[in-house]
Amino acid sequence: MSGDKAIDLLQGTLDMLVLKAVSLGPLHGYGVLLRIQQISQNRLEIQQGSLYPALYRLEHEGWIAGEWGLSENKRRARFYRLTAAGRRRLEMETRKWHDFADVVGTILKTAPEER
Amino acid sequence: MSLRSRVATWWKAIFRAQGLDQQVAEELQFHIESYAEDLMRSGVPRDEAFRRARAEFGSLAAARENSRHAWGTRFFDELRGDLRHAARVLAKSPGFTAIAVASLALGIGANTVIFTTAQHALLDRLHVPHPEQLRLLWNTDNGDVVHMFWGHFGQGPDGKSETTSFSYPVYEQMRRENRALAQLCAFKNSFPMTATIDGQAESVSTQMVSGNFYATMEVQPALGRAIEERDDGKPGSGPVVVISDAFWTKRFGRSPAVIGKTIDLNGTSMTVIGVNPAQFTGAFSAQRSPEIFLPFSMQPVVAPFGTKSLLTNNDMWWVMMMGRVKPGLAGASAQAQMNALFQASVRGTMTLKAGAKMPVLLLQDGSRGQNSNAELSKPIYVLLGLAGLVLLLACANLANLLLARGSARQREMSVRLAMGAGRRRILHQMLTESLLLSAMGGAAGLLLAYGMRNIIPRLLADPWGPPAFNATFDWGIFAFTAGVSVLTGLVFGLAPAWQATRVNVSAGLKEAGQTTTHRRRGLSGKAIVVLQVSLSMLLLVGAGLFVRTLVNLDTAQLGFQPDHLLLFDLNPPGTRYPSGKDVALHRALEEKLAGVPGVEGVTLSQNPLVAGSISNGPFTPSNQAKTEQEQDAEYNVVGERFFATMGIPIVAGRGFNNADTETSRKVAVINRALAKKFFPGSDPLGQTFRDGERNSQTITIVGICGDAHYDQVQAAIEPTYYMPYRQHGDRKGGMGMTYEIATRIKPEAMVPELRAAVQSVDRNLPLVDVRTQKEQIAATMQQERILADLTAGFGLIALVLASIGIYGIMAYSVSRRTNEIGIRMALGAQPRRVLRMVLGEASWIVAIGMVAGLAGALALGRLVASMLYGLKPWDPATFAMSSTLLLLVAVGASWIPARRAAGVDPIKALRHE
Repeated sequence: MSGDKAIDLLQGTLDMLVLKAVSLGPLHGYGVLLRIQQISQNRLEIQQGSLYPALYRLEHEGWIAGEWGLSENKRRARFYRLTAAGRRRLEMETRKWHDFADVVGTILKTAPEER
Repeated sequence: MSLRSRVATWWKAIFRAQGLDQQVAEELQFHIESYAEDLMRSGVPRDEAFRRARAEFGSLAAARENSRHAWGTRFFDELRGDLRHAARVLAKSPGFTAIAVASLALGIGANTVIFTTAQHALLDRLHVPHPEQLRLLWNTDNGDVVHMFWGHFGQGPDGKSETTSFSYPVYEQMRRENRALAQLCAFKNSFPMTATIDGQAESVSTQMVSGNFYATMEVQPALGRAIEERDDGKPGSGPVVVISDAFWTKRFGRSPAVIGKTIDLNGTSMTVIGVNPAQFTGAFSAQRSPEIFLPFSMQPVVAPFGTKSLLTNNDMWWVMMMGRVKPGLAGASAQAQMNALFQASVRGTMTLKAGAKMPVLLLQDGSRGQNSNAELSKPIYVLLGLAGLVLLLACANLANLLLARGSARQREMSVRLAMGAGRRRILHQMLTESLLLSAMGGAAGLLLAYGMRNIIPRLLADPWGPPAFNATFDWGIFAFTAGVSVLTGLVFGLAPAWQATRVNVSAGLKEAGQTTTHRRRGLSGKAIVVLQVSLSMLLLVGAGLFVRTLVNLDTAQLGFQPDHLLLFDLNPPGTRYPSGKDVALHRALEEKLAGVPGVEGVTLSQNPLVAGSISNGPFTPSNQAKTEQEQDAEYNVVGERFFATMGIPIVAGRGFNNADTETSRKVAVINRALAKKFFPGSDPLGQTFRDGERNSQTITIVGICGDAHYDQVQAAIEPTYYMPYRQHGDRKGGMGMTYEIATRIKPEAMVPELRAAVQSVDRNLPLVDVRTQKEQIAATMQQERILADLTAGFGLIALVLASIGIYGIMAYSVSRRTNEIGIRMALGAQPRRVLRMVLGEASWIVAIGMVAGLAGALALGRLVASMLYGLKPWDPATFAMSSTLLLLVAVGASWIPARRAAGVDPIKALRHE
């Protein structure tokens, strides 16, 4: 389902994306995948196999909480929601990401001096 | 991140592993199905949709595993794998595992038992608040002052006599004027008394205490009230008792209604006012509590001792004193003050000869009471030492086994390293294996120690009495011994792995590489075997010495016939049987018991034979000048048929008969040793002597009997004389005697008949300490028996461990040298020569170990010299026997590898390379 111009995910950003996806409302694992793809307009390639270890890692850290519920098609699915700790984490990660992107962007935008 | 969620998820992952697996699987399944449905909705056929969904997802198994690991299970999954692997490895070599676990278990078990016993016997403190403040009062150098005493009387390290007994008037004055100690109280473990409760009589142990005893001990009864000053007023004013927790359980079923109950003690009605806390054992011993505590005021009534009250007797030294130190007052200054007070009290209460030396008062640690287990300390120290050797031996054995195994597995390690296993991972695996082995050994040792924890206290006690003390299982000691053994397992289990993982992989994989890496291990292995052999030698010699001591004691000539004799004690209370009446009672009982069917002979004696007690007094032949130095002899007061019943031969003159009555001429029978010492070259028959205190009347010697052991077999037979009890009733009345009944009927069948016979004379007279004469003799050899049993056990363990060590090292050496042996044989060496070569190598190891062990045994032997009987610590026979035994076992153990070496086929051995 990868788009034509798929971008490889930077190391360590998957956690942030999952937190962001879940912050918009409780989702099951497949839903997280769909929401990230939908928001990114299919420009991000996510390894489906690495999604679940990430979900379990985030739950282990206490940033998201999993609960069984019913999906749209009335099937049993595990829904994840953001916890208070997860919200703080997301804010921090977002700030860090923007800082990082600013710095990298500034460096990359620097025009070569006269030569 | 939150610790709570981490712990919660981790907990679930470890302990609900199955549930978690299922949850992950269900989630993944949902994911695949949802994706496939989406694909089908866009027109992809069902089968194709599922195939694509699965393919794009990647490895389901990896996702499952990684999800689980995200919850922190990696360590446990690996541990579980390691444990499973270790269990398989250990199960594959059951011989190795069994030996390793058994040597660990023996080392841990034996040491825990011995250490626990030692701790109790040597270190137990009284269960009172601040026992370290307690001081027990002693007096020494008292030969000029103390002529009559009752209690402990011994010799201090400086050779001066010392005792914890004081006269009651001295106690009273010291207590009145005491300023140096915070408290000063008195107590005395009295003779057994007869308690009649609800019509049933039994013998009870007692302690008399002063009115301030409980206050000094700072102990409150668990029930009721303590003995107080108001109970300890004028004689007879306090007919009250406090009972021990154990007695409360035994006789009253822990009923609270016991308070206020009246019991009959030696014929006096006493009221139970309190029950002691379970842990409190009185002031005398920290191990065993008397059953009944009563105030001193009751002594003249309940336990009369002669006609005069002991409480006003200035000459009788019998009361023990305990005090508490005053905070802030230095020990030396308190002792000086108390000593001055003590000497003033002695002067104030006794009429002393001019120039009499004053005894000296000592304040000594009272936190363990009189520490009556002091006589146990020596055998316990010996056992501690030997058990320590066994632990060392067990550890050496384990080390040897693990080292040999480690080098045998060098190849396995190299293979695993070559296949990419991390060094940490291999060490982790080896650690798990060592830990599993240690844990199994520890568990087996725990079972062994727990099962045996009471074996030594029981061995130490008389077989017919309660255990010497109750050993409580001590986890601290177990942790220590287990820790030592487990540490050994870890160190020697990991060392080879550590070395193996450092070795160049390709060298490890090549056969030839072994020779270089193994030389070091061969040397350290041999050193360990030498250590094992020398330790075994030491233990074997120890076992030999103690076993031979016991054999010597068992086969020693007693001088009397111990078979088919049943013993019991009768202690008629002086309150009901004053002087004269007690003799009549014993005469009636003697007659009654002789009439019981199955009884072949009845006699009685003041002291039973070989029971550790004697009577001793001055012996002055009438024909000898008075100026000569006073000499002592041992004596026993016995029944008319004593010699016939005990099988002691009368060698000259006559024994006693019914013409020797209370009013007839006083007579005595002497033994040969006495005749030889006091009447050399003359005929003692018809001569007379005086026996010190009873010097109003001379005693005529009417017979000479053979020498018979009196208090113990271990010592030489002393000059002894015997007197009929009818002529020597104690002035204090209440004469207690031991009855000796000759019967061929089993004791169990006989005792009820005897009891009935005694009760037909007096139903309030209990039979005490029923035992056979042989049990009585065995009881005095308990120390020797324990030492012999345990050291023989240790020696056996040592032999087994040493033979395993020797076998292991030789088998290893032969397998390593297979190639060399093959070459030798190809060059013409005879199999017999090869056999001799291997046996020769083993002999060297064993010889070095044996010489070291024998040297150690010689050096340590003098420490046990005083515990041996009939042999010296350098007993050549023992040394020769132990060496021969060890040599035989060593040759036997190396015979199998030697045979294997001799059977090497040179062709095969060379092709093998």
